[in-house]
Amino acid sequence: MTFLSSLLNSVPGAVSQGIIWGIMGIGVYITFRIMDIADLTVDGSFATGGAVCVMLIRAGVSPWIAIVCAMAAGALAGLMTALLHTKCNIPAILSGILTQLSLYSINLRIMGGRANQPVSVDKFNLLVSQRYVRELSLKNPLPLIILMTAALIMFLYWFFGTERGCAMRATGDNPTMAKAQGINVKNNMIIALMCSNALVALSGALLAQYQGASDINMGRGAIVIGLAAVIIGEVFFSKVFKNFALKLLAVSIGAVVYYLVLQITLQLGLNTNDLKLISAMIVAVFLAVPYWKKLATRKKGVKNA
Amino acid sequence: MKKALTIMLLVLFAVSTVFAGGAKEKAADGTFKVGIVQLVQHVALDAATQGFRDALKAELGDKVVFDEQNASGEINNCATIVNGFVSSKVDLIMANATPAVQAAASATSTIPVLGTSVTHYAVALDIDKWTGTVGTNVSGTSDLAPLDEQAKMIQEWFPKAKKVGLLFCSAEANSIFQVEEVEAYLKKAGIQTQKFSFTDTNDIASVTQKAADWSDVIYIPTDNTAASNTEAIANILVASKTPAICGEEGICKGCGVATLSISYYDLGVTTGKMAAKILKGEAKVSEMPIEFAPVTKKYNADMCKTFGITPVAGYEAI
Amino acid sequence: MLELKNICKTFNPGTVNEKVAIKNLSLTLSDGDFVTVIGSNGAGKSTMLNLISGALTVDSGSIIANGKDITHLPDYKRASILGRVFQDPMMGTSANMLIEENLALANRRGQRRGLRWGITEVEREFFKKSLKKLNLGLENRLDTKVGLLSGGQRQAVTLLMAVLRKPELLLLDEHTAALDPKTAAKVLAITEEIVQENNLTTLMVTHNMKDAIEHGNRLIMMDGGRIVVDISGEEKKNLTVPYLIELFNGASGNTEANDAMLLSK
Repeated sequence: MTFLSSLLNSVPGAVSQGIIWGIMGIGVYITFRIMDIADLTVDGSFATGGAVCVMLIRAGVSPWIAIVCAMAAGALAGLMTALLHTKCNIPAILSGILTQLSLYSINLRIMGGRANQPVSVDKFNLLVSQRYVRELSLKNPLPLIILMTAALIMFLYWFFGTERGCAMRATGDNPTMAKAQGINVKNNMIIALMCSNALVALSGALLAQYQGASDINMGRGAIVIGLAAVIIGEVFFSKVFKNFALKLLAVSIGAVVYYLVLQITLQLGLNTNDLKLISAMIVAVFLAVPYWKKLATRKKGVKNA
Repeated sequence: MKKALTIMLLVLFAVSTVFAGGAKEKAADGTFKVGIVQLVQHVALDAATQGFRDALKAELGDKVVFDEQNASGEINNCATIVNGFVSSKVDLIMANATPAVQAAASATSTIPVLGTSVTHYAVALDIDKWTGTVGTNVSGTSDLAPLDEQAKMIQEWFPKAKKVGLLFCSAEANSIFQVEEVEAYLKKAGIQTQKFSFTDTNDIASVTQKAADWSDVIYIPTDNTAASNTEAIANILVASKTPAICGEEGICKGCGVATLSISYYDLGVTTGKMAAKILKGEAKVSEMPIEFAPVTKKYNADMCKTFGITPVAGYEAI
Repeated sequence: MLELKNICKTFNPGTVNEKVAIKNLSLTLSDGDFVTVIGSNGAGKSTMLNLISGALTVDSGSIIANGKDITHLPDYKRASILGRVFQDPMMGTSANMLIEENLALANRRGQRRGLRWGITEVEREFFKKSLKKLNLGLENRLDTKVGLLSGGQRQAVTLLMAVLRKPELLLLDEHTAALDPKTAAKVLAITEEIVQENNLTTLMVTHNMKDAIEHGNRLIMMDGGRIVVDISGEEKKNLTVPYLIELFNGASGNTEANDAMLLSK
């Protein structure tokens, strides 16, 4: 069946996109689950990562240095949101929105006033490109991004087990208790927002290379995909993955699942005009499944009584 | 729970295959598969796609099937859609708008890619020493109307205008390019210009108002966002009695007075004819230079009446 | 050890909801004082505790702890010398973290938190020993999530966390009020034991007059933001509940006795 074969052929591409977005999902996990705030900066910092990376590569900088710089830019964006929140007492959601708005103009300036900057794999040395996603060669982006994700998860697992990391977890879980234990809640919030947005910018930098251009609208709706990855990962794996490192892995897998479902939708020939509706339905179904399951077991219990 | 989920997915799968007529047509052997990726829905892009389909159908009849996908304005979806095309090993990809072309060019170096509704390929694909031909597996048509003629048109219709406002979306690279070129020509003619850029549909109204207040005449390039919002722009321009010269016919029909029109439908037809040549083996995509569509001078009769302007000779009514 | 000098606190000044919570309050605690604080609702007991801990800032006056002026220190900086147990059993511990992680956090109160690993084997042994003293079986459940414990157990853990690094002042804000009588009694017994064992300076706010009389070497009664009764030593040992109520009425000019006070025999 040619449908299955073309579907299988599209899997590496969907998985690659999923893993790249999964890095962004892990960043969202830090703010959303660990620190318990909804950080809307990500829509802006995602595009910032892409913009900084592409402009640096076009200027002749090595792609590795470019993504490190992109992460630094993301951290600065997170710092801006954090300062608005901790020093100006603006609620976290609003701080994120304000930063996101400002980043639109900042990103345009970074890209030299242009809304779109190409970075062709034929011209530059890129770390990842969708050109080679089906090849069995060193140029294939999959091994690199899988390694990156693994390294990232291990680093975060270690970090959140240190004294500093535990203090951050306490800050997100119970700020009153954290303060009573001498933890500077505001500082931890700043660090968390900086780290989270650095990861989001990294994801943006990788995606810009992957798709061959950085675009001012790259980050639109990114927070939705990030949250979808977190939630899908939890729904699938919350019973199985108790370990923190595995929970982060679940986020990455959640992003991959999201993109696989999207790709299948396209291959099935469903109208792409309905893409947004379908994405919303996917997330809704995943959110509802645990609840339905609970209802089902309850009914079974009553029947057996 | 895993069981329930798997069953649900299988059911969904089964149900979907029933409905999988959708936008995908079944390809029998010996036919060509053409994938169309369009960035967003609006009049000009839709017309280009339609022209492309009609031209290819006229040349190849039943021997060509289309898989038409729309990215709903989201850049990221272009990569996903193109991934699907490359995986299904289509014979040709038609990419409608700059981000679509970029995604396609990045995804494959072997499948022919024909772009359309792209203003400047050298800019979109980052090519130095532009010769008019891309040279790789990419070619296509450009919607660039000669910008010096557009600048002249402004002076032709409004010789007394001293201040020209340039209205465009800051997120569209094509618009920025056109506006900068037109600005240079107008400056040479001694006319004062100012740029008025909006970020998206949400601030179109307020920026247009500002532009209308300052300008004698407004120029709108081939801007996708403006094209999707001509009603809103028209309301403001008519109320403040500021006429607009537009970069293409669709926008002019909605809110402009005159245009050096490229019919996007004709642009699509030209692209379709190029595609037919490639599929039939009559030409190689790497040797085909970028083609342009013929240009007609057109004016909007209703708008002229509203503003009390007499149409300049030599222009057709839309 | 602790000196409150003329502190004042008003909520919502200048509005319809203005409330003078603390009016020119002065208080001196000596090392080793175990002070129980009682008073009707709105007397200012919790407010006073919050002002000492730094959760609220004073409008005027000063707070001096062991000779150091801490009036303008933020709450998390004061935490290095304080131990707190809240009224809400959920507030003193981190529900999503393990018991041992909570204790490890408390063990680092006042220290710089760096990149060393959050908990060591030596510490675990220490925690096991400390938990054993509570007699709640928690020493075998070090890797249980705190959220799974009952209110009384969480409060006991909070208490332990508050004294793990011997604090210079222990603040107990009606910490048994949300527990059932049996658990409340147990937690109070543990409190008494820990305070005596470590000779901690303690401020315990309570609604229960009997507990206030039976524990501690000094009793303070508050009303309307002031201290109206301050009894210590022999006089306190000989207190009874009826006498206390009489004292209260006399001192505050209030002839009505509070239901809660009457019922707390």
